[in-house]
Amino acid sequence: MKITVETNSGVFDFECEATDKLLYAGLTRGLTLPYECATGTCGTCRGRIMQGSAHIDWDQAPGFAKLKRDKGDVLMCQARPSSDCLVRVPARVVARSGCGTLPQHRTAHIDALRKLTRDVVHFELALSRPMSFEAGQFVVLEAPEVKGGRAYSMVNFGREVDRLVFVIKQKAGGAFSDWVFRNDIAGRTVDVFGPLGRATFHPKEGKNILCIAGGSGIAGMLSIIERAAREDYFRDHTGHVFFGVRTLEDGFYLSELCDFAAQTEGRLKVTLALSHEQSPAAVHPEFPHIRLMDGLVADAAQQTMSGRYDNMVGFVAGPPIMVDGALRVLIREARLPPQFVRYDKFS
Amino acid sequence: MTWKRVCKVTDVPENTVKKFTVDKVTLLIANYGGGFRAIPPLCPHMQEPLEESGVIANCALTCTKHLWSWDLSSLDMLGETERPLQSYEVKLENGDILALIDKELVYEFEDEDDIKDDDFFSKA
Repeated sequence: MKITVETNSGVFDFECEATDKLLYAGLTRGLTLPYECATGTCGTCRGRIMQGSAHIDWDQAPGFAKLKRDKGDVLMCQARPSSDCLVRVPARVVARSGCGTLPQHRTAHIDALRKLTRDVVHFELALSRPMSFEAGQFVVLEAPEVKGGRAYSMVNFGREVDRLVFVIKQKAGGAFSDWVFRNDIAGRTVDVFGPLGRATFHPKEGKNILCIAGGSGIAGMLSIIERAAREDYFRDHTGHVFFGVRTLEDGFYLSELCDFAAQTEGRLKVTLALSHEQSPAAVHPEFPHIRLMDGLVADAAQQTMSGRYDNMVGFVAGPPIMVDGALRVLIREARLPPQFVRYDKFS
Repeated sequence: MTWKRVCKVTDVPENTVKKFTVDKVTLLIANYGGGFRAIPPLCPHMQEPLEESGVIANCALTCTKHLWSWDLSSLDMLGETERPLQSYEVKLENGDILALIDKELVYEFEDEDDIKDDDFFSKA
C-alpha cells in the first residue's frame, strides 16, 4: 500500500505491506521518522491519519495517552495499513541512504540460552541474514506466541554480524519475559526488526564515557565498553560504569566488566549500586575491580562523579523511572549538553 | 494587556523553575542566572510538566523527558528541539517579577476545539 507522510520538512512516499507497521516500513526506506521505544510505550512516533485507515495492534498501548484518537492520531509503531494512507507526522524528517545499516525485518532462531541470575537470562539469536549495527543499538523482537514486539539492546555490535546477544530480565506480568522463562524456547523462531536507536558510541567524538544502567539496561553499555576497549580507547579517556541492581546476587556480566576494568589500569571504573541491600564491603567479594555502593544508581553516580564531568558523553538505559533520574543528574549536575546525553527508555 | 505581579525575585532561586497562577493563568518562572523568563507550564513537545521535568543549566532549559532544550537568554532552540518556547514578557519592579499577560499562551496541542486540524504541526 502507498503511504504518504506529510512532515515539517516535506512530503515522502513509501510502500508498506498490510502486515508491516507504518513506522517500520518508513524506517526501512531510510526516512528518519520520529521514535524512541518503537514498541508502543513512549508516544514519540505519533502520526495523524488524514486519509485511509490502519489496524492498531496494541489498542491499549500507553503511548496513546496523549493522542487524539478521534482525530485519527496513531502510534506509527502500532499501525498496520488497511488501505493507502496519508499521514501527518509533526516532526522534521529526512530521507537518508543507509549504506547497509537501515533497519529491516529478519528472522532468527533462539539459541545459547543461559541463566545469569535468578531472573536474568542471556540468549543469542542466529540471524537469517547478517546485520551491521553500532554499539548501543537495539532491535524489536516479536515471537509468534506473544502479542506485540519488545525492544532489547544488543550486548554485542559489529559489521555483518550473524548473531545477536541479549539479556532479558524476568518482569512480573511481562508476556515476552514469561514466554522466555516458562518455556523451552531454544530453536524457536522470532522476527527481528532493527537495528534501531541513536544511543550509540562514536570513538571519534573523543569523549570520556559515563554509563548509568539499571538491570538489563547494562546490555547496551557492555557493547559500548567492549567497543571502546577493543580500540584501546581507555588509553586516552576515562570511563565510568554505574550498574544498578537490587541485591549483590542480582549482578550479572560482572566477570566481563571486571576484566575490562582490570585491562585499563584504573581508567575504567565500574560500580555496582545495590538498591535493596546494604553492600557487604567497598569492593565486590568476587570481582576486585568492581566497587560497591548502596542506593539508587543515579544517586551513586551523582555522589561519585561530582566535579568529574569534564569532556563527557553520558549513556543511560534501564527502567523509565531510573532513566528519568539519571537524565536529571546528567543535565543538572553534569551540565552535559543534550547532544552528549544518550538514552534508551524501555518499559 | 496588563503587567501582573507573579512573585518575588527571591521566590525563584537561580537555576530553578517554579509554578504560579495569576488570574487563573498558570505559568512558570524560570531563573537562568542571567534573568527570568515566564513560560507556559508544559513542554511544547509532549506536554510534560516542565515544573517537574525541566532542568536549567548553563542558561538552558532542558526537558529531561526527551531532552528538548532552549537557551533562556535568547529563546533559541538547542540541539534537536523542534518547537520554540513561548514566553510572556517579564520585568522586575521593586523586587517583584511582573509578567505581561494578555491571554494564556498555549501550544496548539492543547486546543481541543480546533476544527481545521491545523493544530498538529508546529508553527516554528
